[in-house]
Amino acid sequence: MKKTILFIFLLTLVFSACEKDDICLLPNTPNLILRFYDSTNPTEIKKVALLSVWADGKDTIASYKSVATDSIVIPLNVNATETVYHFKMNSTSGNMADNRHNKISIKYTPEDVYISRSCGYKTIFNDVSITSDNGWMQSFTPSTLITIDNETAAHVQIFH
Amino acid sequence: MFKYFISLCFVLSVAIGVAQEQAKDTIVYKTPYGLRIGIDISMPILGLIDSNNSGFEIVGDYRISKNLYIATELGYEKKTSIEDYTNSTAKGSYLKLGVNYNTYKNWLDMNNEVYLGFRYGFSVFDQTLNSYTSNTGSTYFPGELNTTPSTTTGLNAHWTEFVLGLKVETFKNLFLGFSVSYKILLSIKDPDNFKTLYVPGFNRVFESQTGFGFNYTISYTIPFVHK
Repeated sequence: MKKTILFIFLLTLVFSACEKDDICLLPNTPNLILRFYDSTNPTEIKKVALLSVWADGKDTIASYKSVATDSIVIPLNVNATETVYHFKMNSTSGNMADNRHNKISIKYTPEDVYISRSCGYKTIFNDVSITSDNGWMQSFTPSTLITIDNETAAHVQIFH
Repeated sequence: MFKYFISLCFVLSVAIGVAQEQAKDTIVYKTPYGLRIGIDISMPILGLIDSNNSGFEIVGDYRISKNLYIATELGYEKKTSIEDYTNSTAKGSYLKLGVNYNTYKNWLDMNNEVYLGFRYGFSVFDQTLNSYTSNTGSTYFPGELNTTPSTTTGLNAHWTEFVLGLKVETFKNLFLGFSVSYKILLSIKDPDNFKTLYVPGFNRVFESQTGFGFNYTISYTIPFVHK
């Protein structure tokens, strides 16, 4: 009987030594998700051809270098209150002369929220507002977001 | 007279039996009852090896019956937990109170123990978040190290503990001990927008609200009576 108790005790020690909090599996800082729609038919998703995306003063994001896509996921700068992104597209041939630009600036108040031991803190973005210089993007909704705290759906719809 | 002879034999045989039982009982091995106090020797050694760790613990027990001891641990601990995205320090004191039940059957007058124990533990502590980095999960805009420390005082935790240990009498009344414990949190007060990662006396708080501990002790019995 005593040996059984000892055995169960040791078994408990062994199995509870591996814990799920050693590996971060929870979502961390959310990215900004943009989705592109057709401006003439606003319910239809429309791909952007040869799209390149970069933030002000930084290199082009590796995964968005002349790609055809209908949605993009881009990080915001957690150490500032504004991130400016440049979007370059080329609708037809890829000739340099056909390059069209658009600039979007996103203003926000970052807030650090604790997740867990292995994940640490994530940053969520409050009071988000977006302005565009109206290049190839004709319009977007919404102009004011309350907060970006998840990645479950697109945050901004862009019509072009 | 003869008619009482058989009865007399019976009476005498019973008397012999009683005399034999009494003869067995004449050797009684007395063991000391008293207060045993000591210290944990692992904590100062760990403190020397690892600068993130310091503390001390006083242990004590009082024998109340042949196999039962009232046991207590009292200590102070300061520990820095370094994680991937956070660096925090917990410091505070703790008290554990409970019983040990000796399951070891000693030979003669030996006084060793293999015991099972149960404790209630309580700790009051402060936690300082020394620095953290926001987990952005991207290398395009990595988080910067935030080094503004923030301290939350007056945190507390309660827990229960199951102990398995042994004590060996090396010299007269001097004991060396080792024990391991499995702890289950009853309640814990976390800082705002952070979590208590380490509780003095409880050690690392796992996601399942459980913890582990061990101690190496050296202790001395002050005998009050021998029985």
